[in-house]
Amino acid sequence: MVLEATMICIDNSDWMRNGDYSPSRFQAQSDAVSLICGAKTQSNPENTVGILTMAGKGVRVLATPTTDLGKILGCMHGLEMGGEMNIAAGIQVAQLALKHRQNKNQQQRIIVFAGSPVKYEKKVLEMIGKKLKKNSVALDIVNFGEEDDAKPEKLEALLAAVNNNDTSHMVHVPPGPNALSDVLISTPVFTGDGDGGSGFAAAAAAAAASGGASGFEFGVDPNIDPELALALRVSMEEERARQEAAAKRAAEEAARQEKGEESSSKAEDATMTDHVNDSASEENKKTTDDMALGMSMNISGSGHAIDAEMLDATSEDQELALALQMSMQESTPSDASKVLEDQSFVSSILATLPGVDPNDPAVKDLLASLQNQSEPKKDDEPPNESK
Amino acid sequence: MSAESASAIPRSQVDLLDFIDWSGVECLNQSTSHSLANALKQGYREDEGLNLESDADEQLLIYIPFNQVVKLHSIAIKGPEEEGPKTVKLFSNKEHMGFSNVNDFPPSDTIVLSPDNLTGKPVLLKYVKFQNVRSLTIFIEDNQSGSDVTKVQKICLYGTTVETTDMKGLKKIEDGH
Repeated sequence: MVLEATMICIDNSDWMRNGDYSPSRFQAQSDAVSLICGAKTQSNPENTVGILTMAGKGVRVLATPTTDLGKILGCMHGLEMGGEMNIAAGIQVAQLALKHRQNKNQQQRIIVFAGSPVKYEKKVLEMIGKKLKKNSVALDIVNFGEEDDAKPEKLEALLAAVNNNDTSHMVHVPPGPNALSDVLISTPVFTGDGDGGSGFAAAAAAAAASGGASGFEFGVDPNIDPELALALRVSMEEERARQEAAAKRAAEEAARQEKGEESSSKAEDATMTDHVNDSASEENKKTTDDMALGMSMNISGSGHAIDAEMLDATSEDQELALALQMSMQESTPSDASKVLEDQSFVSSILATLPGVDPNDPAVKDLLASLQNQSEPKKDDEPPNESK
Repeated sequence: MSAESASAIPRSQVDLLDFIDWSGVECLNQSTSHSLANALKQGYREDEGLNLESDADEQLLIYIPFNQVVKLHSIAIKGPEEEGPKTVKLFSNKEHMGFSNVNDFPPSDTIVLSPDNLTGKPVLLKYVKFQNVRSLTIFIEDNQSGSDVTKVQKICLYGTTVETTDMKGLKKIEDGH
């Protein structure tokens, strides 16, 4: 949303007749220019854009910075190709046009389309760049078309001389199936300096930018099919939310496992108390216990530990199971940890667990943490004598 | 010829820091890490380590608008001996100047600073030229040693205000007051 006055320098030299960009270099350039004008004026209604041509008989200003999009698009018509691009003069005239802008509060920016070879020396370009920087003019360079050995190097030098705090950018567009405008949409040339871009390019730009400079998210080009890309993204987020909810519910399951006496402990059944007498979980016992125990190890100072032990104990001892069950039902759901208060009970339970050594330091730590819970003791559980 | 220093600030003159309209302050060719605030703002300017530095070359163009009309009496510029400013041109009431048109108008005053002035002693200006100042443009043309970077540690403006209304200070009268 930065208030900006932009001058676009178009290359209308003979090199633009080439067809390696479809339909021709010049057409691709025109499309890109129209898109940029639209984006600039839409991002801030007070933005102004102007156009000048660099080749032909000489540098010619077609439109001084104006907010009128129609006038800009109109002057793009009937442009003739010919001559050689004069980049130095073009940039300097653009700077002059910006200096005489009506609204002095606008930031100054020049966008150069460099499609033909650059005949100027690096030194000259660096001098121009320095002058632009001194007058706080930002510069965007679109390097396309003719691939010359020295051209990228010269343009890089120019960019380095102008660049002040990353306000200036350069984009290389190699010839290929992608249209020039499509490639540009995802670049900072279009989106501005981190502002997010204009309204009509925002969705495409954001999707493309988030997917990376060259790739697209989900393998779908948002420019070609924005609805599909949006649908894919929405469904991905829904899936993620669902998985999170499922994971949360699984955690709650483990908490209520001993109450519920679930055989298939992974079931998403909220009414656990219905399955109180179902303790035939032999086949799942091992895995469930390990998982529950693992969870209990992770969850410090909670009532889940005893649940794991309970589950194991009940599988082995049916009467104990029933007794525990009754005691559980008496207490409120959140008071499951009351059972933990009975230290002897806990240690005896632990001893019966296969693979759990009461002398194991981890287990001891767990016991210590359980002891610290300040819940009223409930001594109605029969101690487990089957040591 | 070096500019004459005042021995002390006359009692009537105040530091015009409070009258600067910060929203309109601009500086061309400053380096981003060493910006104008380091030289102008209270606290920053007293810090020896914080300077305003130039970027691409040694010239600096500073634009300071005021929120009321002031009379400018003197200016104190403090900077290092080597890279401190030498020739300083002041323009009053010229908006949005650029490096290309600084030489198009005659400046309201030109001061050439000596290393002695750079210790922070105020420099007297042509008071008659600065009776009605709404904005001040300071153009630092070169520095003492001719190096590529000009460093300024502190800029202090001294003067008085003319009795004008500060439009921002006007408040609506409540009904039934």
